[in-house]
Amino acid sequence: SLRLICTTTAVQRKNVGASGPEKYTEAFIKKQIEEFNLGKRHLANMMGEDPETFTQEDIDRAIAYLFPSGLFDKQARPMMKHPTEIFPEQRKIQWGEDGRPFHFLFYTGKQSYYSLMHETYEKFLNVQKHQDQLIAKDLPLQKEKRNLAGSRWLTKIELEEMLLEKLSDDDYSRFIQLLEKLVALPCADIAENYIQKFSKEVSVQLQKVVIEPLQYDEQGVAFSTGEGKRKTARATAVVYDNGTGKITVNGIDILHYFPVLQDREQLLFPFQFLGRIGKHDMVCTVSGGGRSAQAGAIRLASAKALRSFVTEKEVEFMRQAGLLTVDPRVKERKKPGQEGPRRKFTWKKR
Amino acid sequence: RVMPVRWSRYNPSYLEPEVKKESYQKPLEELTDEEREQMELKAVRPIKAAPPTLSSSVFSDPMISKFTNMMMKSGNKVLARNLMSQTLETIKRKQLEKYHKAPENEKETIECNPYVIFHQALKNCQPIIGLSNITKGGKTYQVPVPLTDNRKRFLAMKWLITECRENKHRRTMMPEKLSQELLLAFNNEGPVIKKKHVLHKMAEANRAYAHFRWW
Repeated sequence: SLRLICTTTAVQRKNVGASGPEKYTEAFIKKQIEEFNLGKRHLANMMGEDPETFTQEDIDRAIAYLFPSGLFDKQARPMMKHPTEIFPEQRKIQWGEDGRPFHFLFYTGKQSYYSLMHETYEKFLNVQKHQDQLIAKDLPLQKEKRNLAGSRWLTKIELEEMLLEKLSDDDYSRFIQLLEKLVALPCADIAENYIQKFSKEVSVQLQKVVIEPLQYDEQGVAFSTGEGKRKTARATAVVYDNGTGKITVNGIDILHYFPVLQDREQLLFPFQFLGRIGKHDMVCTVSGGGRSAQAGAIRLASAKALRSFVTEKEVEFMRQAGLLTVDPRVKERKKPGQEGPRRKFTWKKR
Repeated sequence: RVMPVRWSRYNPSYLEPEVKKESYQKPLEELTDEEREQMELKAVRPIKAAPPTLSSSVFSDPMISKFTNMMMKSGNKVLARNLMSQTLETIKRKQLEKYHKAPENEKETIECNPYVIFHQALKNCQPIIGLSNITKGGKTYQVPVPLTDNRKRFLAMKWLITECRENKHRRTMMPEKLSQELLLAFNNEGPVIKKKHVLHKMAEANRAYAHFRWW
């Protein structure tokens, strides 16, 4: 597996509840909940609001007002949340008073994981039996294809939270393989309810970005602005309609500002992709970075500006061509004990 | 557990961008089932940014970019790109000279498009089978092994470049040397093709050790 750099916060959260047996008793948590509710009402009184309709957002705002903190990490600032969010769920004691464990798979060490695997395999066998019955009666097997693109499986962290048990990467991949096998069977609709427990919907369209409408300047010419960045370069581009294809960067024509052909190709890339080379004028400002970084920044800025001139389908095509994503690659830092980001010092025998 | 060193700044769920304009102009009915699934997947997943060497213009060719990158020394892309364009120009000039000197009936057989010559020359230089060192019982044997497409292309390009850098006169310019090599390779002559044939013969000679391969 690769070391993830660009991840969602869901992947980075550590699961404290799965790390060991009980750290706090149920009575303790109940007391914490009572104290939280009382404290919520006191806070509402203090802020002069109605205790009955005091929501979590109001609590956050009140705490931020009463205890202002300049700390960078949001988790380090003072917070007041419901105890179930602060103290994560944990496993209760797995054995009775005589020391005998409740679950029959306790001595495997990962009882919830193995019981889950057994359940899933049972469903798999049931589906196969149903399939065999249908074949025996010569009935057609249901072939409605499940939409694979709209859903994803639970991540390892989410599965750990569900089972309240630590999993290894191997275990997780085995479970996902079993689920895939189950889904691949033609009569998997029977186990649809069970499968839905382990799949999450992904937002169907990744077009969550709002496209700004066109603006009009004094002469009635339509224009739109866009901002882009690449490495340390920051660029803003203003694309005008009814133009001749002139492009100006920082007041200088592109032929003089970018003597290298590759950079000019990058500037023209969005226009060429949409087939609008001679139709727009562009004025951009760019600062920071080097020659190639500035070209990449202007390309992103112009692509973002062109979104307002173009249909939604073409915006989707631009996104799939990689014109609208910010390039996250930056210079890697130098590490101590090494000469550069990757290069180690020369090895000397003595 | 050892972490692999090669990692990327992109989340693994990011897909590669598709730059060619033609693939977006196909109407919906012509797509096969696989392509439809690909399209649906692309609609949901985020996509990586297109690198600066890739563009949708007719002049950008992935093979040529790869070759330029291999010719580049210490990150001097400007120089490498200039050399590449000068090479293509020299090929065109040589072919045009030949074209104008040739008699009427042979004029159609002479290929003038430098891109076509480049691709054909590379294809001719690609070895089909390679050798790999396998140590068994203390002795290292040269075992014939099938090569992947990427490996074949890489070997062809590497041979061309090393041939030009080392086995020529010091004062000749790179475009001249490269264009000469490419034209020879296009006609299945020249030292690179000879090297390919030598490799094939070695593989044929070591056929007996082919069963040492376990993949």
